[in-house]
Amino acid sequence: MKTGFILGTLVLVALIFLYEWPRINRTQKKEKIVFIALLSLGTILAIVLILNPDLPGPTQMIDYIYKPLGRMLGK
Amino acid sequence: MGILQKAAKILFVCVHLMLLSGCWDRTEVNDLALIVGLGIDQKKDGKIMLTVQLVVPKSIGGGGQMGGGGGGGGETIVRSGTGATVADAISNLQEKLSRRVFWGHTKVVVFGERAAKAGIRQHLDFLSRNPQTRLRSNVLVSKGTAKSVLELLPPIEQSSAEVMRELSESQLLLRVTIKDALQMLSGDAGAAALPMVKILPPEKGKKELQTIAFIQRTAIFKKDKMIGDIDDKLTRGVLWLRNEIKLANITVRLKGEKGNITSTLIRAHTEFIPKYGKGKWKMIVKATAEDDILLNGTKLDLLNPKHTKMIEKELENETDKRIRAALKKVQKELKADIFGFAEIFHRKYPREWNRVKNRWEEIFPTVEVVVKTKVYVRRPGMNTAPQGLPEQEVKQ
Amino acid sequence: MIEKGKISATQMGIMMYLTIIATAILLVPAITARQAKQDMWLSPFWASFIGFLTVYIAVQLHQLYPQKNLIEYSEDILGKFLGKAVGLIFLFFYLHVSGIIIREYGEFIVGSFLLHTPLVFVMGTIILVCSFAVRCGLEVIGRLAEMIVPVVIIMILILLILLIPDMEVANMFPIMEKGMMPSLKGAVIPQGWFTEFFLIAFLLPYVADRNKAKKWGMISVVAVMLTLSFVNIAVLFVLGELTAGFIYPAMSAVRYISIAGFLEHIEAIVAALWVAGVFLKIAVFYYALVLGTAQWLNLSDYRPIIFPVGFLLLLFSIWSASNLMELTHFLGSSSPFYRISIQMGIPLILLFIAKWRKRASNSNQGKYQG
Repeated sequence: MKTGFILGTLVLVALIFLYEWPRINRTQKKEKIVFIALLSLGTILAIVLILNPDLPGPTQMIDYIYKPLGRMLGK
Repeated sequence: MGILQKAAKILFVCVHLMLLSGCWDRTEVNDLALIVGLGIDQKKDGKIMLTVQLVVPKSIGGGGQMGGGGGGGGETIVRSGTGATVADAISNLQEKLSRRVFWGHTKVVVFGERAAKAGIRQHLDFLSRNPQTRLRSNVLVSKGTAKSVLELLPPIEQSSAEVMRELSESQLLLRVTIKDALQMLSGDAGAAALPMVKILPPEKGKKELQTIAFIQRTAIFKKDKMIGDIDDKLTRGVLWLRNEIKLANITVRLKGEKGNITSTLIRAHTEFIPKYGKGKWKMIVKATAEDDILLNGTKLDLLNPKHTKMIEKELENETDKRIRAALKKVQKELKADIFGFAEIFHRKYPREWNRVKNRWEEIFPTVEVVVKTKVYVRRPGMNTAPQGLPEQEVKQ
Repeated sequence: MIEKGKISATQMGIMMYLTIIATAILLVPAITARQAKQDMWLSPFWASFIGFLTVYIAVQLHQLYPQKNLIEYSEDILGKFLGKAVGLIFLFFYLHVSGIIIREYGEFIVGSFLLHTPLVFVMGTIILVCSFAVRCGLEVIGRLAEMIVPVVIIMILILLILLIPDMEVANMFPIMEKGMMPSLKGAVIPQGWFTEFFLIAFLLPYVADRNKAKKWGMISVVAVMLTLSFVNIAVLFVLGELTAGFIYPAMSAVRYISIAGFLEHIEAIVAALWVAGVFLKIAVFYYALVLGTAQWLNLSDYRPIIFPVGFLLLLFSIWSASNLMELTHFLGSSSPFYRISIQMGIPLILLFIAKWRKRASNSNQGKYQG
């Protein structure tokens, strides 16, 4: 199951790459670097999330920071 | 580059082809079992028996015109399932159905008497939580089991669920939807009233099931448990006190006159004026009605304003009597605030009310209710003098 | 400048209107009702103050740096390093909030209509559609808004009118039973939505008729306030004290509509409204995020990073909450403070520093001249 998800993710990433890569101008070097960086960041995150779905997310982090304020509203 | 781009384009199109096949939750109508009526009974061992009434979509195919005689093959069938909760019973029920149950067309929900006495909150929770069911379904309680009511094959309407929906919507007696029931139960009063159906004995020569269930009583709930029921006469009084009365014919007899006068209600309104002072709660109920005369069995000429006044007076007394009878039974005996007095007090005297909020059950029977009725007779119908009476006998 | 398109101030106002109410209309009534009870219709009025303030701050900052948006002028104000840090906070914030919005959308669709469709699929498709809109640029999004908003407003009005027969005015009383506090508390959460008006900081540099921008921003706040208030009133009248118990009260109320026994089952309209509104909302957030990222990295074009960012958005939407309960809890507790502090707190500080700097440099110039 998990391998299936990872494979699916890789196919998706490959699709994005194939679609976008030819469209970036040869001269836009920086764009290419950023494109690759963001895409690989996404891929890594996706694989981490597939392998470990219960990883605490950004919401938990924000919740942790703002908890004292949020408690004012809570009952 | 060119090949890559082409490959990407083709892949892109392929992905979209996958999407075009439709949504994941696609279901064909002929895979669905359309439920029109739902009955919830509690068995002796505490298990829930769920009875559903399904539409049989055979008339769509043309062909055989209504099975007629053979075993009363109507347009609906009834199936049951059992389980610890309603939701549990569904899975049991699903085993006995070739099609997937679909709740979107549920018109009525009937609680068996025993289930009603055991508490209906958890069932209502299911009905409002499920994304398919509708808050507008009518809720009823049946005398006896809900199954016996749903099994009936009514002569006029397509299904017994439809009969009950029509009867509810006519608002002759109480009409309660799931939303109303939930509002009553979660409200300040902590009491609810639901219409109660009874099976009409079939006519002679008809099969046992060829009849309908009709709304005849009102079931009174405290919290979510049924504690008693009242008959149709008292229910009319309750309707006055809930400002829900829509249809009523009142028959009165005038002093010193032979024969009856019946009037029909055109418009009615009940106003509630809460009063609080020195720890005493008081409610002034002002019922106003506009009537037309429907039948004149006396010898009075109705065009005479004096006679009209007399009739109005008598009608007021009668209405007053009905309201008081309902109050006596519901307020003093059953002690359930199905009139929503709690909300009315809460709105007018929030601070005082909050202090007694928790003791409302004790306070409610002691609330002093003053009933003031006012009836206006607007029209004498199509006739003036009593019809079919020699002129000299008519009292001017 | 990366974005070459121009929008009118009217388009900006319309765009923001839909962006705010798209999600607010379904989620806010229940969350407000939990705090404000029968005073829930008052809460949007209190909450709108934050909206006016946010628009004011954004416009003031814009007047100081007319050609630049938030990511660019924060560097001018705070210096290279701190400016980049603030930019990063904003980018993370928009990534996270967009993820949450997409999740809200997905949860609604899956929870009410497509029970068995995987969430990822529902969210992935809307992101794909939005990415096309973003690729086309701001002008297209603006025109889309102009197209969708009239339909949305008419639909909302029709639904409100159809609900009239089921309304019970008495549900509204007693007004302010426990004083102002409940309605003020109930206003905290809608405030989070009103702060989203700070998105105009990304749009203002591309508005053609600048002098009207402030006016239309304010009109938009008023429109959002009135819409929310009307929806809250309608829901309150129909459902009464049950409101807080539903996840999507407006949806439940609309399901209750039945006119003459045949005009019923019209909740599909709500779904259509929601999809259209959320589509625009996600597109606007997505656009701000992509544009901001491109500027933060000094790219010459934002188009190459649309899909990678979309992919990240999808991941964040999955990552941001494990279930609907967690999501609603977050929206009802810490999220308003999170949104207020970032979308109003930081800009307010930026504005103070910018004003102070301007004054300082002006007086310096004065000295040189003198």
